[in-house]
Amino acid sequence: MIRQRGDRVSAVVLAAPLLIFLSTLVVWPIYLGIKTSLSRDLLSEFEITPAGLDNFRTILAASDFWLALRFTILFAIVVTIVEGLLGFALALVFDRKFPGKRTLFSMVLIPIMIAPSLMAVMYRLILNENIGIIPGFLQKFGLDISIFDKRYVFFTLVALDAIQYTSFAFLLVYAALQNIPQQIYESAAIDGARYRQVIWRITLPILKPALAIIAMLRLIDSFRTFDTIYILTGGGPGTSTQTIGIYIYKTAFITGDFGLASAASVTLVLLLAPLMPKIIKQFRLDIK
Amino acid sequence: MRLRKLFTAAIAASALVAGMAIAPVYAATEVKMILWPGPEGEAMQKVVDAYNAGQGKKDGVVVKQVLLSRDNTFAKEAALMKAKSSEYDIYFTASYLVGQHAPYLSEIKGVKDKIYLKASIDGLKVNKKQMALPLDTSLHFMYYRTDLVNSLSSAANTAKYKQISKTVLGKELSPNTNPETWSWDDALATAAFFTQKYNPDSPTKYGYALPAKNLLYNTMIWNDVLWGLGGNWYANGKPNLNTASGKAAIDVYRTIYTKELTSPESSQWEYAETNAALTSGNAMMALQWNAAYSELSKTGATSGKVGIAAPPGQGQRTHVHALAVGLNKFSKKQAAAQKWMKYLATVPAMKDYAAAGGVPSMPEILNTMVSTNASFANIITYAGKYGYSESAGAREFDIYAKLAEVLSPAWVGQKTADEVASAADAALKSLRK
Repeated sequence: MIRQRGDRVSAVVLAAPLLIFLSTLVVWPIYLGIKTSLSRDLLSEFEITPAGLDNFRTILAASDFWLALRFTILFAIVVTIVEGLLGFALALVFDRKFPGKRTLFSMVLIPIMIAPSLMAVMYRLILNENIGIIPGFLQKFGLDISIFDKRYVFFTLVALDAIQYTSFAFLLVYAALQNIPQQIYESAAIDGARYRQVIWRITLPILKPALAIIAMLRLIDSFRTFDTIYILTGGGPGTSTQTIGIYIYKTAFITGDFGLASAASVTLVLLLAPLMPKIIKQFRLDIK
Repeated sequence: MRLRKLFTAAIAASALVAGMAIAPVYAATEVKMILWPGPEGEAMQKVVDAYNAGQGKKDGVVVKQVLLSRDNTFAKEAALMKAKSSEYDIYFTASYLVGQHAPYLSEIKGVKDKIYLKASIDGLKVNKKQMALPLDTSLHFMYYRTDLVNSLSSAANTAKYKQISKTVLGKELSPNTNPETWSWDDALATAAFFTQKYNPDSPTKYGYALPAKNLLYNTMIWNDVLWGLGGNWYANGKPNLNTASGKAAIDVYRTIYTKELTSPESSQWEYAETNAALTSGNAMMALQWNAAYSELSKTGATSGKVGIAAPPGQGQRTHVHALAVGLNKFSKKQAAAQKWMKYLATVPAMKDYAAAGGVPSMPEILNTMVSTNASFANIITYAGKYGYSESAGAREFDIYAKLAEVLSPAWVGQKTADEVASAADAALKSLRK
């Protein structure tokens, strides 16, 4: 009896730091967010007054919110697929010996080490039609294109995201490739399997858990995309490239409506939360 | 050995006592002020340094300037204000923001209105109370290439101009070589003439550099077009963009973009890109901020060839605002901060500011510095003659942002003026409640 009580005390003491950490940095902000979402909280008004569900009604009726959500989902899916495929292809290339491999390997990893906002500022300069190096280079070959033309801007944003984050997918796939026993490939070679068959029948099935994790991480991360798009397009023209992060940021810090921005955040969580168990199940992540 | 220890201890004790005795003499209250990086922050640092080395010692105040990011200074301040923070004593603000910031600022008393440009000082009053002190005055000029406008007067170019204006605008217009008297039709026809798509002999690829990004500062520039065509955000207290003048102003931008008088990329342009289009020689004209003059007059294709005119239109007006500093209502060092603000409101302080690259809102100083920056003369003239702001109350800043969002698809031809005008009016109505 005494021992059981001692165990319980020890458990509480040991869990206390984590519980305090979660309470102050997760539970308390969530509580404040929900409280703010139920308030009329404008920067231009000193007093904060209860608003009931008004902010939620406004958000659910706001076409901009749904357009931002649609763009974010589309962007997240496209960049995840593109980066997953490119990362996989790149890993296959690097999974063999060739001269200069170490140097190239390091170079491939450089983009992921640079802050996205810094990359965006750099892109604004080097892709600028008037002073940018890349348009200037293309013009020498008779290619006169405006990279930020509204017709291509979605593809431009996808390409820029891919330049930065393909190396993340590449790194994880490459690490997973190193764990595949060489004997399996040797057996396949003895059985006369072609390269394509080896990829489809052996490599891909073995890499499935790693690819699932990459897909999940990139989906979550690209869903939060903010800085690059905010700096390059500001979400425009109009709201055509506005992510949900930009929408919430603008609502809070430019429009100065903290109540509405919090309601958008809470709504987003409520919309996405039911999907999480399904994603975990789909990817067969063994969380115990 | 023991003697040596005693000696060391004695020296340390003496230094401590001396330090304690000297400290009260130099004890000064530190006032923390937010500004943004760039010419304003750099110029202000010189004023801060001069104050700390001189008047600040008499006042017992040391000012520390903190530069936040240029893009998000106001967002960070919004968070600080809402938290009723006392971390910073002086906030950076502007006439288009002061309505939103006013609940968190203390009134500044004893400001001499007469030494400032009227539009700048008045724009910082909320309910007749002075809530901030003007620093830089910002307004717009129509920048154009003087060499190219002068070339329009030849007979050959006149004939070609008529033909191009007929093709692009559906009207046969004659060249107007005085941009100060341009209508928007004149500006568009001239832009078309200097666009290679319509005139392969044009030295510039595009006639216009259009800052059409979804950015609230771009709405401020578009406002000049609206006012130039006789429009306004509100008429008799009611939203007024879903009108002939509102739609005509949208169509000016739409024409520039869809007729390719500007680069297709300009849907993502703001200040820096507009300047780059002009200095690279790719564009011939642009409605742009006065701050661009120093770069345009000395750089690239526009060097020595940049002309300044008021924004086109029959009811010519230019947006004017003042960047400013206001006293945090929750500052625990109100008295010290007031002393610094008092110094900042003097002519000598603003002279230092101007000498370091600022554009103070004091005509007396601007007049004496015309020889270093010719555009200062235009600032005084245009601010007095054409200067205008919407004064839409506490949510003016929100309105600028919302209009950029609603109107920018039409600016770049994704939607028509009819499609966005009613949404713009709805936004104006909801944000003026």
